[in-house]
Amino acid sequence: MKTIKKYIRQLWIVYTREFSQVFHDAGLILFFTFLPLAYPVIYSLIYNPELVRNVKMVVVDHDRTPLSRKFVRNLDASQEIRIIGYAPDLNEARKAMNSHDCYGIMEIPQGFERNVGRQEEANAVMYCDMSLMLRYRGFLVAATNVSQELGAGITTQRVDEIAPLATTLAGGDMLPIENISLGNLESGFDSFIMPGVLVLILQQSIILACGMAGGAKRENRRRLGYNPDNLEPSVAMTMFGQMLCYITILLIPVVYMLHYVPMMFAFPMAGSVADVFMFALPLVISSIALGFIIQGIIRQREDIFVVWVVTSVVFLFLSGLTWPRYAMHGFWRFLSEIVPATWGVEGFIRINTNGGTLAQQHDAYIHLWILSAVYLVIAYAVQRWVVRPAALRESRKVIDG
Amino acid sequence: MSDSKNGFGIIFRRTWVSIVRNPVCWMGFFLLPLFCFLFLTSMMEDGLPTKVPAAIIDKDGTSLSREVSRTLAGMQMVDIEAIPESYTDARQLVQEGKIFGFFLIPENFQSELLSGRKPVITFYTNMTYYVPASLLFKTFKATALYSKAGIAVQVIQQVGYTENVTPLLNPVSVSTRPIGNPWLNYGIYLCNSFIPGVLQVMIFLMTCYTLGMEIKHGQSRRLLQLADGSVLKALTAKLLPQTIIWTVIALFMEAWLFKFNHFPMNGSWLWITLSQLMFVLAAQGFALFIFAILPNLRLSLSVSALIGILSFSIAAFSFPVESMYGAIGIFSWILPVRYNFLIYVDQALNGIDIFYSRYWFVAYIIFMLIPLPFLTRIKRAFADQVYVP
Repeated sequence: MKTIKKYIRQLWIVYTREFSQVFHDAGLILFFTFLPLAYPVIYSLIYNPELVRNVKMVVVDHDRTPLSRKFVRNLDASQEIRIIGYAPDLNEARKAMNSHDCYGIMEIPQGFERNVGRQEEANAVMYCDMSLMLRYRGFLVAATNVSQELGAGITTQRVDEIAPLATTLAGGDMLPIENISLGNLESGFDSFIMPGVLVLILQQSIILACGMAGGAKRENRRRLGYNPDNLEPSVAMTMFGQMLCYITILLIPVVYMLHYVPMMFAFPMAGSVADVFMFALPLVISSIALGFIIQGIIRQREDIFVVWVVTSVVFLFLSGLTWPRYAMHGFWRFLSEIVPATWGVEGFIRINTNGGTLAQQHDAYIHLWILSAVYLVIAYAVQRWVVRPAALRESRKVIDG
Repeated sequence: MSDSKNGFGIIFRRTWVSIVRNPVCWMGFFLLPLFCFLFLTSMMEDGLPTKVPAAIIDKDGTSLSREVSRTLAGMQMVDIEAIPESYTDARQLVQEGKIFGFFLIPENFQSELLSGRKPVITFYTNMTYYVPASLLFKTFKATALYSKAGIAVQVIQQVGYTENVTPLLNPVSVSTRPIGNPWLNYGIYLCNSFIPGVLQVMIFLMTCYTLGMEIKHGQSRRLLQLADGSVLKALTAKLLPQTIIWTVIALFMEAWLFKFNHFPMNGSWLWITLSQLMFVLAAQGFALFIFAILPNLRLSLSVSALIGILSFSIAAFSFPVESMYGAIGIFSWILPVRYNFLIYVDQALNGIDIFYSRYWFVAYIIFMLIPLPFLTRIKRAFADQVYVP
């Protein structure tokens, strides 16, 4: 009974002391407030137009017939392409592309319409700039749709002429094909990338904050309110106290990032709110534990910037958001599995965007809890045998000096 | 005179020593950039993530619908993971992340088709994952079109039509010529922009870190003294070793991308090399500008991190500038890495005349000059030598 009381007391001491430390440290306030509050908004605004529309294209029409003009008109009417003009030949068109005036060229050969009339194939050639995949994708989708639409009518008419069986066809497309996007219904870029990025921002701000707090502890403990002559609360209680303090501080940022940001920018929100936050808990805990481990290599508070900021790019790719995880090679796949954000991104997207339930995410959820447990054990070792001795050494130095 | 020459030498040498002694510098200058180079190229080595897990729902179960299923299963890009009974089952598989999309053949498909009642083939793609979903979209669409063609051929041949049927089925077609990247390789597309982006963020961070540490450790006043009170000289001596390191890394990056990984290099090596060299100086200039405006270790590092990481998005490596809001897109033009990307597209990917890239090189020069009017701010901060945690 007495020991339990003692531990609770220790926990309380650490918990309250951490609050005062966080709120007296402009750097930590930045990581706990500005980063989670402002960053998602800036990011979402960049991609908020969602779709790549009206990418500029130049036409080289060697045919100049009603069919070729209709083809170009239909291209221009598509959402993805805007025809900015005609060029007399490919060279001129290429010049426009080199001068960054357009990103694609449609070349319609002579005899385009005649070929259709002769029941031969009419083939146009589209040249695409490949610097950005989204532009290419838009060109491809629009050109395929327009050419098939134009062709479907012609085909049915012909089949009708040849085969008596097909006379029952009323005309038009005999086998319509329909595509439906799941989750991200409008196929927007913002709605695709942001839910994942939100989770990454959450993990990164937690680890950056932990790293900076660790550096601060080692640098000058006295100024931060530690008294090395007094007996400290035990390592485990210190860790739990800090963790509880960080979770308390993070309550508002997490609700804001995982609920209000998607709401503000009208991202798909199909899942249950309770599921989202239940899912976020082990994500936060494992990130904090990872942060405690990183403290082992942080000697000065600013070191964390150099050591950790660029990992955001690595984690973005490891999460499978751009390059799916099933296609990763052995080692990278393993690495992705030990990053909390990987599971966080997967689970959050499937709950929030695809409307899955927490039970359906058991794989990611269990992984997050396992990571939390393993990281906490490693963190305990790091705190006990690396961080605490180093910090004590530093504070002795201050006293002796 | 000889004294001031010495001062330069002392700072220069001392900078090398401090870089070699600090493990964080090892990480920042060498380990992290090189790891990211290796990571990004090796991650996307295959070019395209083939074998997308997908499913097919066959509600018809006739010979015709089974043929469609077989066609789909034979496509290179998909891996049919499951054959669910219903739409609900398939949707659950999507929500569990087991598949990225599914293909639905409706009930009475065969009979409706043959009686001309136009059944609709529907395919669903999970657009929360762009790349696999786009690949699935392409494959599903091709499958549907092949099936359609196959059925039409059957109908036509049953009545004894023996001529070539291909133009009949596909009277209007478009061939695409993806310039410079005909394989649609994602590695080529992403590594060439993201890897210089990594280099830029590391240059920003390390410049502010090393300068700020001088103030933090109370060395900056001595630095100014050694340089006879000339901040320009102090900074040159301090940053020149870093310029040397970054230049080596940037040249290695160029070799790594275009030599070792054989990414397309359709232009002149001269311009690409010049671009990398100027890029290093431009990024250092930009970082110096940040530090001059905010001569405080933490704030300058925060701003460096913010700009450095946002660069991956604002510099329009995936979402084009012209599609962004004007007020945001405009920021892409104030980032050195944007010009590195534009020069890469013009000179390496498309291999066009240097004339078309002339402005991008001018931008580099502006970045190099931009900190100069603000150097007095750094001088004042160095002289004051106040560390704000």
